[in-house]
Parts: sequence; structure tokens; C-alpha cells
Amino acid sequence: MNSVPKLIGRFIGILFLSIFLLLVLNFFVLFFISINQSPSDSPYTIAKETANALYKTDNGYALDNATLTYLKNESIWAVLIGDNTKTILWHTDNLPNTIPEKYTLSDISSLTSGYIEGYPTYTGDTEDGLLVLGYPKNSYWKHLSPSWDYQFIVDLPRTFLVVLLCNVFLIFIIYIWTTGRLTKSINPIVQSIRNLAARKQVELPEKGVLSELFMNINQASQILKSQERELEKRETARVNWIASVSHDIRTPLSMVMGYAGQLEDSSNLTPEERRKALVILRQSEKMRNLINNLNLASKLEYNMQPINQKKVNIVALVRQVVVDFINDDIGNSYPIKWKTDDKLSSCIIQADEDLVKRAISNLIQNCINHNENGCTIYVSVHTTQSKCTITVEDDGIGTTAEYIEKLNRTTHYLIIDDATTEQRHGLGLLIVKQIIESHDGIMIIGHSRYAGFAVTLELPKE
Amino acid sequence: MKLNYLKQKRILLVDDEPQLLDMVVSILKEEGFKNIRTAKNVKQALATAEEYSPELAILDVMLPDGDGFSLMEKLKTIADYPILFLTARGEDEDKLKGLGHGADDYIVKPFLPKELIFRLTAILRRSYKDDNPLVRLSDSEIDFERAEVFKDGEYIALTAKEHALLLALYRNTGRIVTIDALCEAAWGDNPFGYENSLMAHPSHSAKD
Repeated sequence: MNSVPKLIGRFIGILFLSIFLLLVLNFFVLFFISINQSPSDSPYTIAKETANALYKTDNGYALDNATLTYLKNESIWAVLIGDNTKTILWHTDNLPNTIPEKYTLSDISSLTSGYIEGYPTYTGDTEDGLLVLGYPKNSYWKHLSPSWDYQFIVDLPRTFLVVLLCNVFLIFIIYIWTTGRLTKSINPIVQSIRNLAARKQVELPEKGVLSELFMNINQASQILKSQERELEKRETARVNWIASVSHDIRTPLSMVMGYAGQLEDSSNLTPEERRKALVILRQSEKMRNLINNLNLASKLEYNMQPINQKKVNIVALVRQVVVDFINDDIGNSYPIKWKTDDKLSSCIIQADEDLVKRAISNLIQNCINHNENGCTIYVSVHTTQSKCTITVEDDGIGTTAEYIEKLNRTTHYLIIDDATTEQRHGLGLLIVKQIIESHDGIMIIGHSRYAGFAVTLELPKE
Repeated sequence: MKLNYLKQKRILLVDDEPQLLDMVVSILKEEGFKNIRTAKNVKQALATAEEYSPELAILDVMLPDGDGFSLMEKLKTIADYPILFLTARGEDEDKLKGLGHGADDYIVKPFLPKELIFRLTAILRRSYKDDNPLVRLSDSEIDFERAEVFKDGEYIALTAKEHALLLALYRNTGRIVTIDALCEAAWGDNPFGYENSLMAHPSHSAKD
């Protein structure tokens, strides 16, 4: 269940990054807009500049032309209220009629912070009085009581931070809640996909928002299950077929081998007749090996061969196989030489004794099968820190480098290529490979030091 | 070495294949076994066992009216004697071994006559060793019952390990026995690392 929290984590990350970027963006946009407000044109500045520009003439007051033109263009009117008289000493030509002539102190106070007759007003000091600029109605909005608690201003940064944190926390809670709901509905899907991968049957309740998806997953599960059953049925049929054929061949072959063995021993027959009986016996033995191999190969192929691993001394095991061959070698045409260092008495591995015995027997039998005129077989066991190496080789006819390459490459005994007879030739060896691989080992086919064929098996030590 | 006493043993052979019965009988007769009875199914086998009191039985695993394992159990309730299985079910090798049903050995078909004879005599020797506790060698005699070797007019007592080693060699007369098998015979199921101890034991020969 790693992917879902990872996904949520990533989304939370993206969410916070987006909020941060939004804040930054907003800040910059706001900043840009207020910059464009051109603070040099602020009415307060204009009022101060106009007050400075006002000068006294012989018959009153006057403004320079530039300022007058500017005021006119902007539809701004101006009056000068005398300090002593509280009346208008001077005004521009565009003064509206509604503007009063006389002012009380409270009028002055309210026009300084606010409006006269709806016109937003701004003031500037002159020597003789107060210069008042009246801007067109609705051109500015003025805050009439711009005062805050002092503590509020002092606490403002902290307040801002707390509010920000509250917002973030709220967003987080909302997110967790919604994703919680989402994951709750996604969880069964994730779980069932996991189960599908683990070849388990999946059955989701087909209701809710995602019912269609649940239905599809159920269908997929059913399809997979039925395919698996079909495949299993076919594999079992195949293994059973091979098992029953090999079973049925065993009894007739017993009789062939039994009588041939008797004839081969019979003193009433001529040497030539006994030699013929021996040929029958040898060929029957080959058939027996073939049946055994075929049966085991099909089981190993479909993992129907139980592998009972236990502690095995591989040196003793190989020695026993060799001795069994020596004890059974009737004509003594295949002498076996034990090439293992006498000091090496044991090498312990975890293995299925019967299967490994079978592998070694197959290798020795392979030397015998491919050297009809006899050969010497050399068997050795070596050990290193981490593995046991078993080598079975002979001084027989050997094979070509290409064929060795081909044998090393073949991974599946049922792969048939154009040379089917050659393929069968390798069945015994491929079983060895299957057995060794089921023990986490490797098989290497090559040329023998004694000029024939060599197979090396490497098995990991316990 | 004389094995004639073993060839007098009464053998019961059970298989549903008459031709296979004929063949096995001919192999056994050729080898010198004289007392052989055959049966084609469980019913016949039980009747024959009742009347014949065999001293060894060779059973097929699959019989028309039952299986060899349950037949063995029934036979063992009448009398306890060694049982050898002949089976065409090669895949049951492990099962047979693991089951430890009390079978003394098993042979998977197809088999060589020599293999059958070797296994059969090995079982007989093991089961009826008391019949002939004396093994005569070219220049000495081994008395397994008394654990003594008689050589040059004197008796030499055998230690338990020596006795076990000689017995293992005797039971495999004519065959090579691996050092590991000897260790197992003397030191039991966990014979790892006793090879050097084995080398320290006096070497004896159990050859004919």
C-alpha cells in the first residue's frame, strides 16, 4: 500500500506550491498596479505644488499658466481660504456655484479630511491661507476616519502570519478530508489490482460511484481465473498423459529387460546370441532412461515435481552415484575415475537428494550413451568459498563447438527446431539443467580436459 | 560364501500381469529360488499367504482389487516378514520412501534381473541373518552373532563399530561400498565428518 500515500503526498506538495505561487503572483500584480497609479500625480502632492505655485499679485493672487492649464484639463477647481477671514480670497474660474463663500473651523476640518459638496478636496498651505483643490465628483474616494488601534498596528505582522497559518491549516484539513474520501473509494481498486497480480480471485461490490470500474475489475478477475484454470487443466492433462504413457510402458519393458537379461546371462547360448541379448538389454535401458527423463522433465517443466530440500553432502552423493554405476557396469567398458581430492570429504548444500542424484546419473549415462565404443569417465568435485562444483567428463568422441554452444543456449526441452533428432539427444542434459536451476545453480557444457565431452555443475553452498 | 539357505525361503509374488509373474518366477528359479507362489490380486494373495506362510513377499502397487500398500498392512497382521515392492509408478518413489509403510525396499519397473536378485538377497540376508551368523572368508571366519573374528586359531573380539562396518561390507558382498555408506552404517544418520575416524579402524575385507 505504498503508492496511494505517495500519491497523496505528492498532491499535497503540488497544492502548497500552487498556493505559494498564487500568493507571490498576487503580490506582484498588486504591486505593479499600485506602481502604475503614478504616485507623483497624487492629489495631495498636486495640492501642495499648487499651493507653492500660488503667488501674490497687486490685485490679488495668481497661478502660473502651466498649473492653471493642468487644473483646467483635469477639471479641478481651486480656492484660497484666508487665514483670518475664513472666506474665499481667490478661486479658479471653474469654481462650481454650490461652493460656499464662508467657512467655519469645522467646515475647514471636514474639507481637509473629506469633501465639499461631494467634491473630494485636498489642501496645501500658503502664506495667507489654505489652498483647497476640488476634484471632480466620484474621482476619489476618501477614508474619513483613518485611525487604528495602535496595538493593532503593532500586532499586524503576527496577526497576518496567524491568519495565513489558519488558512493553510484549513486548506490542509479540506484536502485530507477529500483525499480521504477518494482513497477510501480507490483502496478496494488498488487492493484488487494487487490481488489480480497475485493471482487471487477478486470480487468487488458493484455499487457506488465507481461501480462500473468495480464491474470491469471483477470481469478481468474472472477472465484471468478461467484462463488460469484452462491452462492448469491443459498442463495437468499433458503431465498426466506423459505419466500414464510412461507407466504403461514400464511393465512391457520390464519383460523385455527381464528376459533379455536372462538370455544375456544364459550359458546355453552362443556368445553371438548373448551379445544380441546384451544389445536388447542396453537399448531397453536407454528406453527406461528416456521414460524416466520424459516424465521428470514434464513435471519439472510445469512445477509439478515437489522439491524436498535438505542438508546433503554432495561429495558422498556423487561418490554413491559413481559407485552405483561401477557396481552395475556389466561389460566394464565404461570405467569411471574418481578425480576428487582425497582431502575433500564433504561439501554440504541444501538439495533434493533424489533429483541431484538423477542429474549426476544423467551426466554419466550421457557419456555412456554417446560413446558406444566405450570411454573412460572422469568425475570430480571441487569446492570454493561459496559453491560446490561437480564435473563429469569423458575421453570419448566429444562434440563440435557449435553443438556445445547450442546446448548451452537451449532453455526449453520442448523447443523443436529443424533438427528434432538432435533436440531429443539433449533431453537428459536439459533435465540436468532444470534440476540444477531449481537448486539455484548453473550448468556449463564444454570440452573435456580428456578430449571428450564435459559438463560442470555449480551449486551454491549452504 | 553360501547363500543356499536363503534360496529355500518361501516367496510370495503378487502382480496382476501374468506374463510379468512368469518372468519374475523364471528369474528367481534361474537364480536358485525354489519356493515361489504367485497371486494375481489381493484376494488370492491373502488366501495364499494364509495357507503358505511366506517368508518374503514381492508386491505390485496397483492391483485390480486394491493397492499394494493396504495389502502389505493386511499381510503384516498375519505375520511379519519382509516386503519388496515392484512398482510401475516411478513418480511414487519419494512417496514410497517417505511413507515408511514398513516396506523393506522397492524396485521401479522396468528393472534388470540382476537388480531384482541383488535387492531380494540383500533383504533376505538382512531379515534372516540369524540363520547364518558365520561368514567364512579365505583365511578367517566372522561370527556376527558373537561379534568375533576367528583367525589363525584365535578369536578376536569386534568392537561395535567394527561389527557395523563388517556387516555393511558383508551385506554388499561383491559390490563397492562408499566410505560415506560405511560411515552411515557405523555412525548413523548424521555421518558427516567421520571419514578420518573410519580410516583409523583396522581394515577388514569381506570379499568372497
